[in-house]
Amino acid sequence: MSECIRNSDDLAKAASAGAARLYPAQLKIIVGAGSCGLSVGAGEIEKAAVEAVKELGVEATVIRTGCIGFCGREPLLDLVLPGGPRVSYGNMTVEKTRELLATYAENKGLKPELILGRFEKEEYILTGEVHEYGPAPDELKDVAEWSDLDFYRRQKKVIMRNCGSIDPLSIDESIARGTYQAVQKALGSMSADDVLAEVESSGLSGRGGASFPTGRKWRFAREAEGDIKYLVCNADEGAPGSYMDRSVLEGDPHAIIEGMILGSFAIGAAEGFIYVRSEYPLAISTLDKALADAEERGLLGDDIMGSGWSFRLSVRRGSGAYVCGEETALIESIEGHSGEPRGRPPFPVVAGLWQKPTVVNNVKTWASVAPIITRGSDWYKSMGTETSHGTTIFSLEGTVKNPGLVEVPYGISLGDMINEMGGGTLDDKPIKAIQAGGPSKGCISPDKMDMLIEASAAPGKLAMVGTGSIIVLDEETCVVDMTRFLLGFFNDESCGKCTPCREGTKQMLGLLTDICEGRGTDHTLAQLKRLSSAMKAASVCGLGSMAPDPVLTGLECFPQEFAEHVHDRKCSAGICEMGEV
Amino acid sequence: MVDEKDMVGAVMVVGGGIAGMQAALDLSAGGFLVYLVEESPSIGGNMLRLDKTFPTGDCATCTISPKLVACMRDLNIELLTMAQVTALDGVAGNFKAKVRIAPRSVDASKCTGCGDCTEHCPVRNVVRDVPGYEPREVGGDERVKVDEILARHRDDPGGIMPILQDVSKSFGFLPRSVLEQVAAGREMPLAEVMRVASFYEEFRLHPEARHIVEVCDGTSCYSRHSKKLLKQLEEHLGIKAGETDEEGRFALRTIRCLGLCALSPVMRVDGVSFGRMTRDQVPQILERFE
Repeated sequence: MSECIRNSDDLAKAASAGAARLYPAQLKIIVGAGSCGLSVGAGEIEKAAVEAVKELGVEATVIRTGCIGFCGREPLLDLVLPGGPRVSYGNMTVEKTRELLATYAENKGLKPELILGRFEKEEYILTGEVHEYGPAPDELKDVAEWSDLDFYRRQKKVIMRNCGSIDPLSIDESIARGTYQAVQKALGSMSADDVLAEVESSGLSGRGGASFPTGRKWRFAREAEGDIKYLVCNADEGAPGSYMDRSVLEGDPHAIIEGMILGSFAIGAAEGFIYVRSEYPLAISTLDKALADAEERGLLGDDIMGSGWSFRLSVRRGSGAYVCGEETALIESIEGHSGEPRGRPPFPVVAGLWQKPTVVNNVKTWASVAPIITRGSDWYKSMGTETSHGTTIFSLEGTVKNPGLVEVPYGISLGDMINEMGGGTLDDKPIKAIQAGGPSKGCISPDKMDMLIEASAAPGKLAMVGTGSIIVLDEETCVVDMTRFLLGFFNDESCGKCTPCREGTKQMLGLLTDICEGRGTDHTLAQLKRLSSAMKAASVCGLGSMAPDPVLTGLECFPQEFAEHVHDRKCSAGICEMGEV
Repeated sequence: MVDEKDMVGAVMVVGGGIAGMQAALDLSAGGFLVYLVEESPSIGGNMLRLDKTFPTGDCATCTISPKLVACMRDLNIELLTMAQVTALDGVAGNFKAKVRIAPRSVDASKCTGCGDCTEHCPVRNVVRDVPGYEPREVGGDERVKVDEILARHRDDPGGIMPILQDVSKSFGFLPRSVLEQVAAGREMPLAEVMRVASFYEEFRLHPEARHIVEVCDGTSCYSRHSKKLLKQLEEHLGIKAGETDEEGRFALRTIRCLGLCALSPVMRVDGVSFGRMTRDQVPQILERFE
């Protein structure tokens, strides 16, 4: 099982071992056991399934998989029928699981009423191959095909290509779906320049929020002086509302490892670090296992696949500081210091970790690299828009019917995402505001639903990417209180190094509290604006310069609500407790 | 007033602020030798701290900088910084002053202003006291445990972060005595260890309750009324967020986003997450943790 992989034959051998695990001859029960599923009882469901299988004498394997994205329907349980399709059950409980397996054992059907959808086929993004499942039995003919569901129709899973389909602890299953073919191709038949050129021409841009062209960043680092260079994967996903990085880490860790090996080859780096926030213990243990497996198979470490290329990769844990998601603070933290951002320039690509050239990319960016190498940059560019290529992940949250993770090509509108994929709001209540793109983006009004998901906007159009969280808020939300909440976050997380941020967030929070408690005046609003411009101009890092944004966006999109609080001392959502007038 | 023949040709100006500097420069121009005595390490005084001066709104630095340079270069002005006048005798025209100059520990004539001394400032490495954070007795076993952790990470380029994480994992918090051992083992000042230990949210300086209850305070949970969940927990446990109950069974905290946003509101007990929390679930879940 643990033979070294040194050429394409070895890779094919591992792939066939993986395929045997992916599509066994007997029934396969897949439990969605990402952190999401586990928090609503996936662990108990797995146990129930294992017991039921034993009691009923069904020949079956029970495995765990990572997040498939349909978080609103967790816990999820999938069956891969022997010689038949894969079907997905949502909102499972221990009782439902027992019942389902009992009826299955007695050949009394599959309870189609509980099924969310069935898979007829699955595309392997890395190779372009399509796996066709066997024909569906008659009773499942009316069950929706997975790709016809509103939630999935417009999705294109490139970054999350294997999430929810493989056992994340099995390197073979990942290889069976094409992982490490890019490494084999790059190290075997491409030069470092070829790899870099391919990434550059794909137009891949940073998925952490700032959308800096990845190829250009890599080239800076490659051309920077010095023998020692480092790679860092920023998995310190601290922005409240985002959890897509966690899903990838938990569901397909090899996608990140492969991307980083390719990056190390293109840039000339011999060592890399994955910095994961400590709030994600499952992601850390999954990554540890994946790294150990990759090393054991000779896919990581010295002389990767016999090519002579060496790259060491290790996991570093954060310790609960949001500011460490900022790349220079993250570097400080890896070095073992308190996570205070550094002044720039010099940029990390020139002097980063231990003052050596360092490339810091987000989880999603690293996971996007391998398909670009296997399928080519033209294929990648065919997704998205003129200016923004490829796909990115969003999380739909708040009062939508289908909360979860969606991976879409750039260019989709916010409205489509909420109304079509998200299925609209719970009880069809009107949307009051949308908190999209992370805490720094503030609340936007629903009249901006035609806003496009793009890195850069066409003239006259609005565009946003940010951290990718979309939180839909209904009438029960007070925008002023929400703004105070968001600012409170920045106030807590300011590292205290520079004065504009440390004092500015505190003062702004005080002013917003004044407004929420009925002590606000026009002067308060004017002061907020003045402080905002000072903080934006003078803060050392992005945390301080973005902290005023929720206030500015709130004032711009909901002036009447702020005015109501200040002039009428009233909160129509009933959230703020106003003092005596 | 003494006779003209007994007069000395030197003047002492006490205080090197803007007024003292100007006086020194004028006196020097008038042909006197000036001793400019200043208590702090450098001349300039309060004006250096100002952005603008009233009523003209002139830039303070622009006014004072040429005078600083002039004082320094003037051959008739001798600067006595870090100095204090301790005694004064005589009459106008012939005073005798005693000046006490504190050691600077830096050879001023060799200083290039590189700033290295700031990096290695001994004052920066004075440990800031955290109330109630006292060293306690450490058993031999514990010392061995810490030595093991130190040995494990001896060649780790990540400095003390992995060490503190391991200490935190095996002790549940960071005891001061252990940090002292870490500081000694790594040959670095305790203050530097404390700086890292106090920066990160996850590191605790005091012993914890048996069970940690955390309520997610992310945006999604907030929008799904995590405040109410927190309030219910506060009432149920009889403590506020950030406190520990009397028997040391539960500590209640908020935590910024656990990344379970589609299952809001979320709480976590001892690292085990519970999504889609409802009112009835709270007592049931807490019961499981003794």
